[in-house]
Amino acid sequence: MIGEQAYWNPVLETLSQEKMRDLQLRKFKRLFQWAYDKSKFHRSLYKNAGIKPDDIRYFEDIKHVPKVEKAMMRNIQRKDPFPYGDALCVPLDEVVVYRQTSGTTGQPVYQADTWQDWEWWSECWAFILWAQGYRSSDRIFIPFGYNVFVAFWAGHYAGEKIGAEVVPGGVLDTQARILKIQELKATAMMATPTYVLGMAATARDKMNIDPSKMSINKITCAGEPGASIPGTKKRMEEAWGAKVYDHAGATEIGAWSFECEAQPGGLHVNEGFFLVEIEDIDTGDIIEDPGKKGKMIITALDRQAQPCIRFDSKDVIEWDPEPCPCGRTFRLIKGGVTGRADDITKVKGVLISPSAIEEVVRGVEGLSDEYEVIVDKIGDIDRITLKVELELGRENQRVAIENQLKDQLRLKTNLGYVLEFCDYGTLPRYDVKAKRFKDLRKAH
Amino acid sequence: MEQKVDIQELDEKIKLIKKSAEELKMMADAFPALYRNSDRILANIKMLELNISDLLDAGV
Repeated sequence: MIGEQAYWNPVLETLSQEKMRDLQLRKFKRLFQWAYDKSKFHRSLYKNAGIKPDDIRYFEDIKHVPKVEKAMMRNIQRKDPFPYGDALCVPLDEVVVYRQTSGTTGQPVYQADTWQDWEWWSECWAFILWAQGYRSSDRIFIPFGYNVFVAFWAGHYAGEKIGAEVVPGGVLDTQARILKIQELKATAMMATPTYVLGMAATARDKMNIDPSKMSINKITCAGEPGASIPGTKKRMEEAWGAKVYDHAGATEIGAWSFECEAQPGGLHVNEGFFLVEIEDIDTGDIIEDPGKKGKMIITALDRQAQPCIRFDSKDVIEWDPEPCPCGRTFRLIKGGVTGRADDITKVKGVLISPSAIEEVVRGVEGLSDEYEVIVDKIGDIDRITLKVELELGRENQRVAIENQLKDQLRLKTNLGYVLEFCDYGTLPRYDVKAKRFKDLRKAH
Repeated sequence: MEQKVDIQELDEKIKLIKKSAEELKMMADAFPALYRNSDRILANIKMLELNISDLLDAGV
């Protein structure tokens, strides 16, 4: 029976690392030649660096190929053909899908895809869904505002591809979505961690429905790192009585990683379709060994219209030394995407990642799911204010909760905080990507 | 734990359907439904190539 097979591609997902490197090198060469021939931007970038397709003969040669940064993609867009610019490798009339980045880190980047690219997107997502136990018996509810962001569009098409039934929960408010899940007995859904928790709170607080008693048995998260943060994952799993899996991807890259059913505490890189390199942030050297964090440089090995070749994603990751019990040979990144190179900031001389604070807040029982971190300066001294909410009915435990929060923050982040306890429901709620970390020092 | 699958045999069949789809597309100049559907089939065939045929290059 097909549904009993553990792997979407039983050959590729169990390939030896040696053969995988061979495959990646061959694919990289093919992609490099394609971009060199078809994209004015890439040809110019590589000519200026003195590198041409014949120069890539060994795997080690790849690291000499210039990186592409998001700012470069933004500049390209000012050139013809409108609106994508001269990195486009196909005639405009072969572009069938427009998407754009969310603009979290600046001006959105436009992304062109051919129909082949769009098949590729859903193929990448098929690996994800199959590894997370989605099968043709699933009814997947997607509570996502279908729009210019790629987000769960590809998850939708992959759901169809693997034979599941997909319910597009687009233009519905949160309560209507919950009722629809209940009405149709949906077995799975896909959303950002923020929205997964927000939906559960709405069900409990406004509809008197216990989401853990509903029919959802698995949830795939994307858009934020929450599903790889143990405290946040635990909250989501308890709220919904479901397994929660993480996936990391990006508009300009593709769906490059996934957590499998074994939940090994990290994400598999789909190494058959993507080449991930980890670069030391200080030295620029490529980190081959597990246990050292760096930023991800990624290549989507098969993307056609707007290639992604050695893209400097700024995502901070590290290789996991342990293999996954699921048997896949796709390497794991430990703990998922643990931050962004442009997000990890120094406060009081200490490196701090917003996800470390989230891990603490979501690990303290009695605090609501929402929080906000504000960094500013008092004179020359950095100050971090952490705003949290007590869950309803926890007011008499405030001192104990506050002490636990202080202890954990000191232990896990080595920093002191100004703590503000806000009334339940007063901190901002988000439907998609949350903005809970505000560094106001740059405004000073 | 590599799986035993005859990639060579699968690849030969993929080549056959690709050839047919390409021929259909070439015959579709005045037939939009044939052109576009052949084009979509070719995109699907590319996914078979990524999953199967490319593995031959890696010595599987």
